Amino acid sequence: MQNSKINQNQNNKVLVVGGGLGGIRTALDLAEAKKDVVLIDNDYTIGGLMTQLDRTFPTNNCDLCTIAPHLSESNREDHIELLTMTTVTNVTGEKGNFSVTLTSKPRYINLERCTACGDCLTHFPECVNFHPGLDHRAPTCMRYPQATPQAYSIDLEKCTDVQALVKICPARAINPDDMPIKRQIQCASIVLSPGASVFDPSHLDYLGYKNLPDVVTSLEYERILSASGPTGGKLICPSTGKQPKRVAWIQCIGSRGLQKEAGAYCSHACCMFALKEAIVTKERFQDDIETTIFYMDMRTFGKDYELYLNRAKNDYGVRFLRSRPHSILQPEGKTDLLLTYTKEDSTKQFEEEFDMVVLSTGFKTSEESRLLAQRVGIELNSDFFPITEEFNPVVTTKPGVYVAGTFEGPKDIPETMVQASAAACMAAADLPDIIDEPKELQEAPVERDVSLEEPKVGVFICDCGENIGGIVNVENLVAHAATLPYVAVAKAEGHGCSRTSMEDICQTIVEEGLNRVVIGGCSPRTHQEKFQDLLQKAGINRYLVDIANIRDQVTWVHSGKPKEAEAKAKELIAMSIASVVRAQPLTDHTLPMNKNVLVVGGGVTGMTASLKLAERGYQVYLAEKNDKLGGIANHLVKTLEGGDVQAYLSSMVEKVKSHKKIQVMTRALIVDHSGMPGMFTTGMQSGPQMFYKQIEHGITILATGAQSNRPDQYLLGKTPAVKTQLETQRYLFEHPDKVKQWENVVMIQCVGSRTPENPNCSRICCQNAIKNSLAILDLNPEARVFILYRDMRTYGFQEEYYQKARERGVIFVRYDLEKPPVVEEAGSQVDVTYYDTILGMDITVTADTLCLSTGMIADHDTNEELSRVFKLPRTEDGYFLEDHVKLRPVDMPVPGFFVAGTAHSPKLIRESVTQANAVAARAQTMLARDQISLGAATAKVDGKLCAACLICVRACPFNVPYINADGYSEIDPAKCHGCGMCVAECPAKAIQLMQFEDDRILAKVEQLFERITA
Amino acid sequence: MITAERKPLEEIIEYIKPFKRILLLGCNECVTVCSAGGRKEVGLLASGLQMARLKSGTDIEIQQHTLERQCDPEYVEEIVSMIDGADAVLSMACGCGVQQLAMRYKEIPVFPAVNTKFMGASERQGVWAERCQGCGDCLLGITGGICPISRCAKQLMNGPCGGSTTGKCEISEDVDCAWQLIWDRLKALGLTERYLDIMPAKDWRSGGGSGPRKIIREDLAE
Amino acid sequence: MENFEPVIVAFCCHYCAYTAADMAGTQRLPYPANVKIIRIPCSGKIDTLHIVKAFEKGADGVYVAGCLEGDCHFKNGNVKAAKRVAYVQKYLEEIGLESERLEMVNISAGMGHRFAELASTMTEKIRKLGPSPVKAAAAL
Repeated sequence: MQNSKINQNQNNKVLVVGGGLGGIRTALDLAEAKKDVVLIDNDYTIGGLMTQLDRTFPTNNCDLCTIAPHLSESNREDHIELLTMTTVTNVTGEKGNFSVTLTSKPRYINLERCTACGDCLTHFPECVNFHPGLDHRAPTCMRYPQATPQAYSIDLEKCTDVQALVKICPARAINPDDMPIKRQIQCASIVLSPGASVFDPSHLDYLGYKNLPDVVTSLEYERILSASGPTGGKLICPSTGKQPKRVAWIQCIGSRGLQKEAGAYCSHACCMFALKEAIVTKERFQDDIETTIFYMDMRTFGKDYELYLNRAKNDYGVRFLRSRPHSILQPEGKTDLLLTYTKEDSTKQFEEEFDMVVLSTGFKTSEESRLLAQRVGIELNSDFFPITEEFNPVVTTKPGVYVAGTFEGPKDIPETMVQASAAACMAAADLPDIIDEPKELQEAPVERDVSLEEPKVGVFICDCGENIGGIVNVENLVAHAATLPYVAVAKAEGHGCSRTSMEDICQTIVEEGLNRVVIGGCSPRTHQEKFQDLLQKAGINRYLVDIANIRDQVTWVHSGKPKEAEAKAKELIAMSIASVVRAQPLTDHTLPMNKNVLVVGGGVTGMTASLKLAERGYQVYLAEKNDKLGGIANHLVKTLEGGDVQAYLSSMVEKVKSHKKIQVMTRALIVDHSGMPGMFTTGMQSGPQMFYKQIEHGITILATGAQSNRPDQYLLGKTPAVKTQLETQRYLFEHPDKVKQWENVVMIQCVGSRTPENPNCSRICCQNAIKNSLAILDLNPEARVFILYRDMRTYGFQEEYYQKARERGVIFVRYDLEKPPVVEEAGSQVDVTYYDTILGMDITVTADTLCLSTGMIADHDTNEELSRVFKLPRTEDGYFLEDHVKLRPVDMPVPGFFVAGTAHSPKLIRESVTQANAVAARAQTMLARDQISLGAATAKVDGKLCAACLICVRACPFNVPYINADGYSEIDPAKCHGCGMCVAECPAKAIQLMQFEDDRILAKVEQLFERITA
Repeated sequence: MITAERKPLEEIIEYIKPFKRILLLGCNECVTVCSAGGRKEVGLLASGLQMARLKSGTDIEIQQHTLERQCDPEYVEEIVSMIDGADAVLSMACGCGVQQLAMRYKEIPVFPAVNTKFMGASERQGVWAERCQGCGDCLLGITGGICPISRCAKQLMNGPCGGSTTGKCEISEDVDCAWQLIWDRLKALGLTERYLDIMPAKDWRSGGGSGPRKIIREDLAE
Repeated sequence: MENFEPVIVAFCCHYCAYTAADMAGTQRLPYPANVKIIRIPCSGKIDTLHIVKAFEKGADGVYVAGCLEGDCHFKNGNVKAAKRVAYVQKYLEEIGLESERLEMVNISAGMGHRFAELASTMTEKIRKLGPSPVKAAAAL
């Protein structure tokens, strides 16, 4: 009691600004860790930029499908207060005690009442707010069926007849007198994640974007491809309405300082974005369309992104031209777009016609977010992105204020997700420790045992305004349902999901002693959970409800045939009744949570994660296989931006060693592992004596790092003149006097990366080369530095250092994999011969030092062993494979496991630290719980029927079933994903998937045909 | 395990044509494991027969049941009460099960619904391959654990025939030459000298050549 | 036969096909009421027995709708479903039913249009094939 009193006096909230994917992730991570969040967005639904995309790289998944669950989760979560159409207008106070003024614009729609029926849109299409991409009004102003909140928003200025508009709403949700609201909130920390805008090329008349309809931005092209876009997914040229045959992409529009008002940075995501669009286009139209990408450097540096590039080239036949067409012209009287360009190895001009040209526009900060930065009081860099801490990019210049996503800097979705979680971790650390009152326990009434009762079904049918009632006669449906077996009550409910109806249903259940419920209404996808909660509130098991989808799948699609619609609605309701009478009470599987953490790997990543969790009071076991903490960072001197790695590292090691809650085990070797998420037991040998011990822990964090690659190439290890970049950096630091005597230095990029043996890009090498070449020139301005590269991948703000290197005279020469440089010993020096494409001849440079950018490779031995012990998947090149490359980049597919740092893929220290903070946040979402709920839709084996045939063992995509000591198959509900594949293949019919039991599915089938066979 | 495959539906329909009340019996052993005659297949066959008979306009009543094992009398005894309500029995077990049923229930016709194929092992999900012919005199100890009787088309005992090319049998590119496998295995085990020993002609009596076989464990047999 | 209205069962996976069906609703894209959807968590949950049972009970057509290839939320459920559908198609021929009455389709969650299109083409196809011989016989 005393605790909750203290809490009320403290600032125990986090304000998250921006409801895009990043903001949602931050809010969810905090909320799941039982921290209160206020999530605001200036738009009328959350979801941000991602909801406008058709598909995402590298999986080419449909976007809506992937993001939708996140959207509705954020609306459900008790700890999140969601405010749309809201902006920050003032901030006072400091870390731990901010006072923020928020202003909400009027929506003119009452969120409590709006059922998203769409009547306002049908009758007054122009008055409803809608603004994603290219064309307005299409195809539904809901933006997409999963919109959160599920409500429209009115643009009152466009409305000429307000009274008529108000009248059209059957739910009486439209309120023209809605006013802006100003409110004051107290919070301990603030996370800014408002996203970025996309560069607007309208002012660049030579690109013709403003005047030529077939010149579109990449986002607009995405909208054209999208099934929910203005053309319904039909790829057509805006000018002619015909399908284009030749599509070109031009990269770096608004990035790399190339055009007027362009950012000096690289926009990070556009190469992959263009690749995806080209691949999706080729996938859909194959040889009917030619796709050409005009680029400067293909920057596919992310995890497995290089493979994506190779696929585009080799499997899909996307054409790549390293060239920058200057302008886009349309010859008089023609619809074709004319591009003039030259090729890398010639000075000739080529002309080529295209039907459509896509401008790969980069990110740009918006006026609005600059204003936000100003109001919050954080400093921005010259590109108007926030200035952040050297080793921790989510920390701003103002204590207590954190940033994430594209607001922090250009980036793609996975990196946004990582930063969002990292920001959640930092923001949570500013909150006072709260002992959460278990609210649910107080609310949930005792569940009545209905297992022995005869089924007693209540059927509640919504008219949903005109949506259902306007097409079919709900009273007829009710009367029909009442005649069916086991139905005790059937009634019409108006808007079943409205507060009053929910109360009525709850009361009916209690009063009539119902033990099964059928709702005739909208989709179970969106509303099942809501009604399940209602059943729980009414004192019966939440799984005793079935929803007949008579709106989305009947009245909305058969409005032209009301008779058929009514017959079908009756059938669907009858099917639901037949199914629900067979439903049995189910319990969500729960486990007690062990709150200890095992961190494997004591590099910067592992130490950061350990510290973050130990500081929140969790016991951490940190296992390091070497006898010294620090990992690869022990060999680093400085970052590209000038950060002192050694100082950073040594203070971190000190903190880790002295922290009471961290137990460090060096020379540790993991040997066995058992248990389930929330209660693992891991055995390891550690110390000089290889002493064996077991650790009990609830979650596991893998931060095992990667290795610096040392391929046997270019005389590496054969002569002291050849060094890796890592060795070079140390050498510069230790022998500056010798560097001063160098005349020629050559660097070769992509040594041991992007080759058939190791196809991926090592990500860190380009900036490494730039860093070392600038350091050489600092020591010895007379030195001539050559960088032989394939694509310079200085993404994000690194681009500015690349430009600086060019200004300082570093000579950049491209080479192809087919024609690599040749290196020969020449006394204490080496001769490096490369082919110069412009001169068309071989050039030999005698170099004092040859630096090889050898990059990273996975620590195969360690990872292979750990993936075997922990049963975790790896990528083909040996890194650990996360659960979802896009949305869950640090979660492993096995619950309770997380991965961070270079064990995930090559990355820089800043990026590793960010991932470490992200896993700490993700881990806290689990650690905050006392029990782990595993849901109820899991497969269950009847041991008596099982023939131990192993078919389920082989069929399961997640390797969950096993034959137990009693000789029959067992499926661990904690690991089961609920897909039901084992059920479908079991030859003994010994497995059932809860909630989708065979008899329930068959009951639906039988009911549907009852009148036929009867 | 013993492997089997459902007979063509047409053949099954023909067997049971004169009968109305069918007792359809699955077996929860080998035929379940090879997805030929377990509870699932019983359901599929029942449904298929129902439809086929509906189409031909003749009534049918199918009782479905799956026994733990049809080749053991005690399990077979389980259905004694069901037999009365049936005009014919359709068994999805291997030939052993069908015969066990026929022996026990003499007054009612028993038909097989599967073709019993061979003694095999599962190679992967959904694929079974012949591994043993029950010759009664196992040679695996000297042939590197690979059986030339069940895996060589000609059942050769002393090395491959002339039809072995690039490790494959001449009957099909999908069939490994058993002797190639044996050689590779002996080489891996460092036992190639065994290959030089000439194996005498096989005595096929133990493999059924001298009539039906029986095993009697005297300590157990009553 | 002129007034023949086929009954078609569509087993739709939760994540993609069922969502696409909802999307068709949101976009008010009409399709024939003959198609009745049964939701399953993954097309890989589709049981050969359930398909056969649907025909036994009187379905004129059945289709199983899963995610696009490569998009299955459970890795490969849609691939497994397609194989099972092919298996049942052969079985239907044995029974004496046209295998065209059964189909596997792949749809992503955003493809409301495609869902409606498929429902229409499937209904038209079955209408042309006429009532299921099983149902016709049962009605006698």
